[in-house]
Amino acid sequence: MIYVDFSGSQIIRKLIAGACFMALAGGASAAVAAEKINIYSHRQQVLIQPFLDAFTAKTGIETNVVYAAKGLAQRLKAEGPASPADVILTVDIARLAEYADLDLLAPIQSKILTENIPSRLRADDNRWFGLSERARILVTSKSRVADGEIADLEDLAKPEWKGRICSRAGSHDYNRALVASMIAAHGEAATEAWAGGVVANLARKPQGNDRSQAKAIFQGLCDVAVMNSYYYGNMKFGDKADQKEWAQSIRLVFTNQSNRGNHMNISGGGVAKYAKNKAAAIAFLEFLTEEKAQQLYGEINFEYPVNPAVTVNGELASWGKFKPDAQPIERLAELAPKAQMIIDRVGW
Amino acid sequence: MVATFLSQFTRAQRRPFDRWSGGVIVLCGLILGPVIAVLLAAFGDSAGLWSHLYDTVLGRYVSNTLILMAGVGALAVGFGVSSAWVISRYDFGGRRMLEWMLLLPAAIPAYIIAYSYTEFFEYAGPLQSGLRHMFGWQSPRDYWFPEIRSLGGAVLVMASVLYPYIYMVTRIAFRLTPASLFEIALVHNRSQFWQVGLPLARPAIMAGLALVMMEVMSDFGTVEFFAIETITLGIFNVWLGMNNLVAAAQISIVGFGFILALLGLELYARSRQQYVASSRNQTPLAMLAPTKLGVLACWMVCVIPLLFGFFIPVGVLLGLVVTNDLLADFLAIREIIGNTLIVAAIAALVIMLLSAFIVVTASFRAGAKTRKLALFASTGYAFPGTILAIGVLIFSGQLDRGFAAVFGAQFQGVLVTSIAVLFLAYIVRFQAVGYGAMISGVRRLPANMMNASRVLGQGYMESIRQVIMPLLKSSFLAGIMLVFVDVMKELPMTLLLRPFNFETLATYTYQFAKDEMLEVAALPALMIVLSGLVPVILMSAMLRRYR
Repeated sequence: MIYVDFSGSQIIRKLIAGACFMALAGGASAAVAAEKINIYSHRQQVLIQPFLDAFTAKTGIETNVVYAAKGLAQRLKAEGPASPADVILTVDIARLAEYADLDLLAPIQSKILTENIPSRLRADDNRWFGLSERARILVTSKSRVADGEIADLEDLAKPEWKGRICSRAGSHDYNRALVASMIAAHGEAATEAWAGGVVANLARKPQGNDRSQAKAIFQGLCDVAVMNSYYYGNMKFGDKADQKEWAQSIRLVFTNQSNRGNHMNISGGGVAKYAKNKAAAIAFLEFLTEEKAQQLYGEINFEYPVNPAVTVNGELASWGKFKPDAQPIERLAELAPKAQMIIDRVGW
Repeated sequence: MVATFLSQFTRAQRRPFDRWSGGVIVLCGLILGPVIAVLLAAFGDSAGLWSHLYDTVLGRYVSNTLILMAGVGALAVGFGVSSAWVISRYDFGGRRMLEWMLLLPAAIPAYIIAYSYTEFFEYAGPLQSGLRHMFGWQSPRDYWFPEIRSLGGAVLVMASVLYPYIYMVTRIAFRLTPASLFEIALVHNRSQFWQVGLPLARPAIMAGLALVMMEVMSDFGTVEFFAIETITLGIFNVWLGMNNLVAAAQISIVGFGFILALLGLELYARSRQQYVASSRNQTPLAMLAPTKLGVLACWMVCVIPLLFGFFIPVGVLLGLVVTNDLLADFLAIREIIGNTLIVAAIAALVIMLLSAFIVVTASFRAGAKTRKLALFASTGYAFPGTILAIGVLIFSGQLDRGFAAVFGAQFQGVLVTSIAVLFLAYIVRFQAVGYGAMISGVRRLPANMMNASRVLGQGYMESIRQVIMPLLKSSFLAGIMLVFVDVMKELPMTLLLRPFNFETLATYTYQFAKDEMLEVAALPALMIVLSGLVPVILMSAMLRRYR
């Protein structure tokens, strides 16, 4: 008969001891305060690593990162004053606002930050700061849509686009913010009518991510789609040959150039309320708004600098100058719940 | 009669409460803590969101979820039970290889399979391109092809990777069914499968199915990618879209209610009937020899789930990997592979020891209330990983404040800022898997086994060690394997609760797969599959030895 004495097993004991050790080591390392900063990031590690490397090279300050798309604010909240986090990095204004709502960020007095970032892209109370701008644009089929045939987001609801539009799910952050920008411009009722029109014009059930919309245009499933402009750069310069083809098949249209300007969102950050390395954390945010890092946003992920003193060049410049929507970015976060309700109602 | 009918193990040695059941209650309390934290979070003010949800999306969420659960459940039972039957009852060439291969899909995360299926089945994929080439079609308007990003696609994708939960326990159940019962069916010219095998394997099938249902309920990656509006997708829309965690917690309780209802239904059904074999196989079970056509049928039954759950997705991933520099990529992630294996091994061992203790004590020592508590402690699996992780955070934060209040301020955040919080989350979530594996083993034990041992003068502990534990060995090993692969591919909780600079294969894969950079994600995804292979083969070999 086979018989295992669980209580006496050496291996199990060692493993349990190991687990306890790991638990303690994890706790201890968080408590040591050397020249380093701990970052909670909603941006993927691959996207922020070049910034971290550049920062460490310049200042000698080491960086540690936890990346997660969702729930970091709840983690920070649960950790309370014991939290090891110094810096929060996010994409999408709604995430930044969530941290602000939960009172997890410290107000920062920094002349560099307020000089480098236009006031519409940072919090009034200096708790969060926009670090790069992302343009959500229209892309059209080069072969089936003439240049200038569509100019405004509003046009998407017009009957001539029936069965020709592709979109990812309406409730994705990016589309939600876009709907919020429409509410800011036209009010709720008009936006709902517009969103209903867009849904009626869809060529297929909303699905996939932004790249898949470009793919769908390439494949002829639809003629126009909403997309963040940086995906175009990523597809054009990525490793995948088929994605290069998708990029070649589409034209970039910055919208609403004759009126309020193209809808923008931000990636941003702030300093944690209970940051143990506050000075280094501020230095890091400041570093991200300076010339070198601001250029990096364009080079790595085709995002636009927030710092007005920094000029775009290279690929970004080739997409042309455009007028961004100038309303305070915070409005998008305030209107996000209303936007989500409209999206629910129209079934986007 | 060879089978005895009984409602529960004899009452004589049960005690409503002693230190054993006390231990179970404390452990279950610890495991249920995060679940309760989520439930409590739902008691806040959701700012009147419900009338909006009710008017707009809730119906869609609920019906999609129910259809998905029914579809995945039916297909997974079909795959799992038919392959388990063929493997355990028929002797045919390749059976031994197929026996362990059928477990392989368990190692593939559903979100990875969703990405690779899209790659394979979509318009630009090899299948449709091939068809277009063959028939001369020019555009999507020339022909109809089922859309993979649909409810039906999700059913196929999820059932293909979830059926091993059912296959694993059902195979053990078929194997442990006394040969004499099959002989009786044979003598009376009745179906061995429908009249003996299936009814006796029902507890095991249900245990597996419960896991599958909870997995479906909690899945986010697949339904998000396929844009299927399920309850879980709704939870995230409300939480992140409307910045309303309270309403999100409330919706997650709707899903939780489904799972409780299912568990209750099964409990009720089981209270009505329970068959337990009173003797172990004294004569070895004679395998059936299929005809030539039968061999083909056996192969079909095993290969179809493997095709959908393993060969197609792995083939797609392999096709993506070979174009890159394999060795350099592999070396770059060797530390991540190490992390993954260590974490999964520790978690699997801890969870199975806990599950074994809880199930054995609840079944043989404690009262009916403790048994129910043990069952409910396995419901954490039904919550979406991220929501459960938030429950774990809230609960750990409270525990820490308690520690700090009692032992001093240096204990502030001692749990919540360490890797212990991640292991707690694994325990809360995957306790269900351990529980399922152990309980399906316990339910197959002859009722009088424990009584006989006690009558012969052995104490409770001695009886457990000498009689019960050896008989549960195969269930324990099956549980270790399932938990190991589950932890290895676990994504949302690991992502949120991990320490700084800590990657597992799942988190590493995800950051690329998220942006549909499947070509970079392919190698770590394959490593998850490969690392899953090791315990699968190991455990299969051990199971074969111990049967």
